[in-house]
Amino acid sequence: MNYVAQRMAFSILSLLVLLFITFMLSHVMAGDPAAVAAGPSAGMAKIELLRREMGLDKPVLIQFAIYCGHVLSGDFGMSWFTRQPIAEDLMRELPPSLELVFVAMLINLAISMPLGLLTARYAGSRFDDIVRLLVIAGAGLPVFWIAILLQQIVAGDWHLLPMTGRLSFANRDYAGSTGFYLFDSLASGNFAVFGDALAHLVLPAFSLSLLFTAVGVRITRTAMIGEFRKDYVVLARAKGASEGRIMLRHVFSNGATPALTVFGMQFGWMLGTTVLVEEIFGRPGVGRYAVKAVSQSDIHAVVAVVFVVGLVFLLANLVVDLLLYLINPRRRTGN
Amino acid sequence: MLQAVLAVPRAALSFPRNGVEKAAIVIAILIVLLAVLGVWLAPFDPLKINFRGKLEPPSFTHLLGTDGSGRDVLSRLLYGAQLTLASTFLVLAVIVAVGCAIGIFSAFIGGVVDNLLMRLADIWLGFPPLILAFGFAAALGASLQAAIWALFFSWWPTYARLTRMVTVDILSQKFMASADALGVPVHRKILNYVIPNAFDVLIVQATLDVSAVMLAISGLSFIGVGAQIPTPEWGAMIADGRSYVANGWWIVLAPGLAIFLTALAFNVIGDMLRRELDPTSSRRQ
Repeated sequence: MNYVAQRMAFSILSLLVLLFITFMLSHVMAGDPAAVAAGPSAGMAKIELLRREMGLDKPVLIQFAIYCGHVLSGDFGMSWFTRQPIAEDLMRELPPSLELVFVAMLINLAISMPLGLLTARYAGSRFDDIVRLLVIAGAGLPVFWIAILLQQIVAGDWHLLPMTGRLSFANRDYAGSTGFYLFDSLASGNFAVFGDALAHLVLPAFSLSLLFTAVGVRITRTAMIGEFRKDYVVLARAKGASEGRIMLRHVFSNGATPALTVFGMQFGWMLGTTVLVEEIFGRPGVGRYAVKAVSQSDIHAVVAVVFVVGLVFLLANLVVDLLLYLINPRRRTGN
Repeated sequence: MLQAVLAVPRAALSFPRNGVEKAAIVIAILIVLLAVLGVWLAPFDPLKINFRGKLEPPSFTHLLGTDGSGRDVLSRLLYGAQLTLASTFLVLAVIVAVGCAIGIFSAFIGGVVDNLLMRLADIWLGFPPLILAFGFAAALGASLQAAIWALFFSWWPTYARLTRMVTVDILSQKFMASADALGVPVHRKILNYVIPNAFDVLIVQATLDVSAVMLAISGLSFIGVGAQIPTPEWGAMIADGRSYVANGWWIVLAPGLAIFLTALAFNVIGDMLRRELDPTSSRRQ
């Protein structure tokens, strides 16, 4: 239990730092918060009224406490470009983004894990060198540039996949119950919509995953390479276990833990990187919402996205760490 | 210090192991030269609009064609090299300096302050870097300066953490105990022992971060919180060319390739430096 309590305490501390950062963004750096919240065309009287309403005539620490209270109760204020509560906007925009990140993460895992394992097994070989170069190249690709090129070539010139949006025109009236179209359509057995939603996800998810795959291969390789030198691998070889069994049953299950922690962190990083991808593919989502909010100088909506992405990041890390702790067999033996 | 400075040209000659690494060094030097001299080499004014000559494909007058407003893409690329690389190196110089200062301070002072600072750095470092910088840049008012400040704010913990680690390591060495006994003052400890020892680790990390910082700056410009169109910053150029990609592919291709080549060259060099300088590297034979 000690570990769980420590891990929870770290998450709460992180949440406080996140709140501090978003408070600084919206209340200190963006200029007069009352003027910001009132909108670009508000008069002095309205600004003064808001200043009192928002408690901005009080000391900074009290302001921070009020701010924390608002945010933690899900109140981010109103967005003036959608003219709706920001919290409602986010509830609508979050499912499509999470769906995109889930698919991108699946692509990432499907490439990183096997490549990382194989390059660790054949470290120093020609194959390892080529993959290393590809990984270095991948880490230098501008996400938004590769997204535009893929969209233009694969969707625009070859007509293999749709250019923009979440669904085709024929399915424009589809509304799932959760907002996760892949899940909704599968649960209701609507395979036409499922295929359509998937086709719309391929290019954005692939562009989003590239940068993370480059890091993922490297992390998996580093995590696995030490395992191959351990005594139990020598023993497994000596007793005649097949190379495939050694890689999957022994090395992979032992070396996966540190790699999985990083993949847990990548989940939140990916959600933050949707700002570069969603706008290009005309997909609704928190990234596109944030970019639109910037162009309308709606700073509170931007900061709300920063907070929600940070929160998802903290939760994803916590879940992964606790899961890894629960399935760790060493825990069962007492220490 | 002198040794550390001399190490750079020596490294350029003796470190590369294969053609890829040699090519990366040549490309990196060329790109830096172009960034310095590009302003004089550019054949046209990068901001001069000419609607009669818009969307011209690459030709002998316009080697990389013209963009949607008839501006010469090559000239924009050359001016952009200076803007993009200067911003990148400015960000790196500041975060290395500030990060080092915080890291060394933290290690020397120790105790609760050290603990708090490093916890803060840990947490800060974890948050999705792009969205954090995005928030800072948006709050500061969407300009290239805002993007640069945003990267200062979101990147300092990497170097604070790294320098603190190296410094704590050095402070625990025996020769530091004798330095203590001799009464060596703190500033000389830092200048003579800490910085020379931290140099290798920092240079590796900074080289690898060139591409990350550059991708962040151009990414922020692309989504509108960095350099604004029509500034010839590479990311802003891609944003500007996006709407013409179907009938003017060169407008988007050129700046993207420039970012990619620069990032690739510095990543290969960083990878090579890590192999040669990092004593824990597994590939150093």
